[in-house]
Amino acid sequence: MQRFVKAGITALGFAVLATGAMAADWTPPGPIKLLIGFHAGGGADTQARLIAEELEQRLGWEFVPEQVTGKGGLNLANALKDAPADGTTIGMAVTETLGYNMAASRTNMTPADFTGITTTAGFQMGIVSLSSKGWKSFDEVIAAAKDGAELRFGVMTPKLADLAYLLSKAQGVEFNIVSVKGGKAVMDGVNAGDLDLGFMAGIQAKGVAAGDLVNLASALSEPLEQTPEAPTLKDLGVDYNADGYFVFIGPAGMPEDARNAMASVIGDIVNDPETKAGGLIKKTFGGATTISGEELTKMLASDYDLAGGLLEAASK
Amino acid sequence: MGTLDYIWMGILAVFQGPELFSVLGLPVSVTLVMILAGFLTGIAVGATPGLAGPIAMAIALPILISIFGYTPDALLPVMGFLIGVMKGATIGGAVPAILFNTPGTPDAYMTTLDGYPMTQRGKAGKALRVAHFASASGDTFSDIVLIVCAPFLALLVEAYLDLPEKTALLVLSLSFIAAVIGGSPGKGLISIGLGLLAVYIGTGEDFYPRLSLGTQELSRGFPISTAVLGVLIIGAVLKELQDLWRQKRTIGDVPDYRENGDQRLYWADIRRLMPFVGRSALIGTAIGALPGIGSTLAATLGYTVGRRRYAKVKRPDAPEWGEGASEGIVATEAANSSVSGANLIPVLSLGIPGNAAAVFLILAAESIGGFNPGPSVFRFTEDAVNPELVVAFGLFTAMMIANLMNWTIGGLFMRSMGVMIRIPKHILLPSVLLLTLTAIYVQETRMEAIWFAMGFGVLGYLMRMLGISPLPFVIAFILGGKLEESARQAFAATGGDPWFLFTSPVAALFMAASVAVIVLTQRKPAQTHPRERT
Amino acid sequence: MPRHSKGNLILGICVLGFSVLLLAVWIPMDTDSGLILEVRRQVIIGDALAPTVASLFLLVGGALLVSVERKSMDQPGLSARDMAFVAGLVGIVALSLVVMRHAGPLAVALFAEETAEYRLLRGTAPWKYIGYFLGGTMMIIGMVALVEGRIRLRILVIAAFAVLAMIVLYDLPFEDLLLPPNGDV
Repeated sequence: MQRFVKAGITALGFAVLATGAMAADWTPPGPIKLLIGFHAGGGADTQARLIAEELEQRLGWEFVPEQVTGKGGLNLANALKDAPADGTTIGMAVTETLGYNMAASRTNMTPADFTGITTTAGFQMGIVSLSSKGWKSFDEVIAAAKDGAELRFGVMTPKLADLAYLLSKAQGVEFNIVSVKGGKAVMDGVNAGDLDLGFMAGIQAKGVAAGDLVNLASALSEPLEQTPEAPTLKDLGVDYNADGYFVFIGPAGMPEDARNAMASVIGDIVNDPETKAGGLIKKTFGGATTISGEELTKMLASDYDLAGGLLEAASK
Repeated sequence: MGTLDYIWMGILAVFQGPELFSVLGLPVSVTLVMILAGFLTGIAVGATPGLAGPIAMAIALPILISIFGYTPDALLPVMGFLIGVMKGATIGGAVPAILFNTPGTPDAYMTTLDGYPMTQRGKAGKALRVAHFASASGDTFSDIVLIVCAPFLALLVEAYLDLPEKTALLVLSLSFIAAVIGGSPGKGLISIGLGLLAVYIGTGEDFYPRLSLGTQELSRGFPISTAVLGVLIIGAVLKELQDLWRQKRTIGDVPDYRENGDQRLYWADIRRLMPFVGRSALIGTAIGALPGIGSTLAATLGYTVGRRRYAKVKRPDAPEWGEGASEGIVATEAANSSVSGANLIPVLSLGIPGNAAAVFLILAAESIGGFNPGPSVFRFTEDAVNPELVVAFGLFTAMMIANLMNWTIGGLFMRSMGVMIRIPKHILLPSVLLLTLTAIYVQETRMEAIWFAMGFGVLGYLMRMLGISPLPFVIAFILGGKLEESARQAFAATGGDPWFLFTSPVAALFMAASVAVIVLTQRKPAQTHPRERT
Repeated sequence: MPRHSKGNLILGICVLGFSVLLLAVWIPMDTDSGLILEVRRQVIIGDALAPTVASLFLLVGGALLVSVERKSMDQPGLSARDMAFVAGLVGIVALSLVVMRHAGPLAVALFAEETAEYRLLRGTAPWKYIGYFLGGTMMIIGMVALVEGRIRLRILVIAAFAVLAMIVLYDLPFEDLLLPPNGDV
């Protein structure tokens, strides 16, 4: 239903554009600083830059991208928190930043300090290994571990480390959980044989399609689009999941018109596979997921609240 | 995808990249134009006393990134430009050394010894031709060694080294660099320690940014460009300005020596010079392949070895060594030029930079993204294309193209660069400082970055005054993150084995070598070679 | 370089002192996790280990200076006069940076319309150039004057041209590059 409505809105947007008027009745009062919480050149960084580029072309808005990486997005949040809330400073992060990371850190930030604008895409978070390892399913991994194999499990965030730990507990095995910097590093480690398996949030799509990599399980609440037969974390006995999205946020107290205008134009772009940004999202994540408005505010708040449970469970 | 396919794709990536314009219906790719632009810039910069290749690289990088964007397509044009600068500056440095007795780059000092006397005898043109010939030969030789060796070394590393061994290798390279740069292992270790400390501020795995003293400013850590440009470039500018002020030296009339007689280079000359070129190129390449030793030592060694041979083969009517012997120029220039290609062997195969130019190539790769110099680059994947490998072969192609430019137009352009000496240094340097700060700002867009860079500049100045080489600092800053990461991973992957650096024979060997290299260099205290100061 | 035969000794002692300070005070007080810690039933390396390794490099380096290398040929020397000169240079840069940061907003407050804000004008000429131009010109003139020991009108013209050239180089061709200080305001 939501996608249907979205398509309607998109069509409406085009109709309005065609008549010559600009799609949004809100225009930024000055150049917009776009804080990007990901390393330059990676998939997420490219996504943010492509969206900004498209917005500049479509609406003539001026963007100034700036990399603010580190601390699981908390550096970005910190830089964004006190910026003016008139839409001249926004940031792109992941929902995990406002959820688990804020809950786990000692900083006093909560999702209430920010305005959620819109998500762009959901992770296709799988547990992945090289197909040359010979594992066809997650059960075979567990069997190998029970046979005494010392398995290295690559993770890129503390939340995922917790999930890997809970997974090992649920299955009665032990993994050597290895934290690396970013999903690309997990993939490199798995490819180089430094890691046996690990979480990948969508970059595995090409390797899985080529048959080099295999999705052993879905770390989401839903099955993976590419490998629907792989079990979810819930199937494997873990009550938490790695559901997460790329999300545009602003400082708390952004005016409604600015928030809605941005959400709608960004939504148009990422939902349109003809744009470079939309095409990238389609290729990596199977399509856009745009959650915005009140629904997004609620989701961010509940992610934050749920994180406490995961932290608690993983500390035992 | 076989090896040959990858080589071919790399070559195509250079020639077929985005087309800038076409000549006689042949498309000219933007990468080719950038290599040429970098090469010419490099010669001009190398020929200007007070400037050097790294300064041009630092200022150009943010501009290039703005032009080409943060996409993998940007890698070859941007890095092609940097490679061009690197090569151009190498031959450019000889120009003021020969014409005005002022080395443009520190490694050209030995060139003045025989180059300037030739100018005084009216043989400036010939001296420049000889220098160019030696430089281009050494450079080309070194590149060939790089192209042959780097992939194999990377494959060996990837096949035989696990996480603990990779950690130990990083420790070994840091300790080696501390020991060999600057001739004082104690000061080298201090330089490394400071570099590591700087990169560990504000970083780490915990959500609390460590060592940030609770401040917002330090909590994001120091951006790599502020540390690198601050210590290497701003520090050098401050030191140079102080020297100028101290000497109160104004550029007076530059003595003008007319050229007389035949300035051409003959086959007979080349045949006579070749043994000197060969020896020096071998020395330079061998030294270049080890991270951190640098072209100044290569030049010194090449010159010394050349002198010994010259004593044996000198014709009675030929000029004395040090009084205008072409062989002296050749021995120096072939050695210092052959460092640059080989210096990329540890960069591309291990991710360990050995000199300032390599530092800037890594900085470019990190800023743009999509290319992480290190063993994983050389993964010859069968089914899917490994884009990093294509970039690596593209870089090799770019180097060979730059060599071709060097052989064809380099000499001509180089001989026209004598005018650069007339640029007043004390006006140029403050402008370089402002340019550097601006370059940092456009990438970081916050004033803090400029303040950090100035802070690192003062540190770089103090290090130079105290005889501490700044290069180990920069290399440690670049490798520090990698060192911590791989140690953490190795530790976690071995299930928390506290002896993970010593349990495998290879790792234990690396660790033993790291200690040995410090102890051994310590035992001969009188190191006399000049320090490399970029 | 003037030879202070005690240069290495003094430097070594300072470095030793600093590394002890790091190991005993700064690192333990200002990191969250220790050298190693146990989470998720696994022992992992903490945030304090890497800086500790860095301080060990300093410690060994300092120890070498006060012992083996104490009498080596290459002794550092700092003269008070040189330091004062470089402090002057850095002071000029710092002052120019302050001008660079605040000149634009000040100009807007004084000369633009009542409601205007520099932040919103940071992409608009001529406002966006004011700080960079004034601060940059001042930086170059100041440094040259300090080296030359006098102020010349010619240098002012050269400096202004150099800064204009930099504006042309960095700002005109690129829409999304911000000259200092326009990313901060």
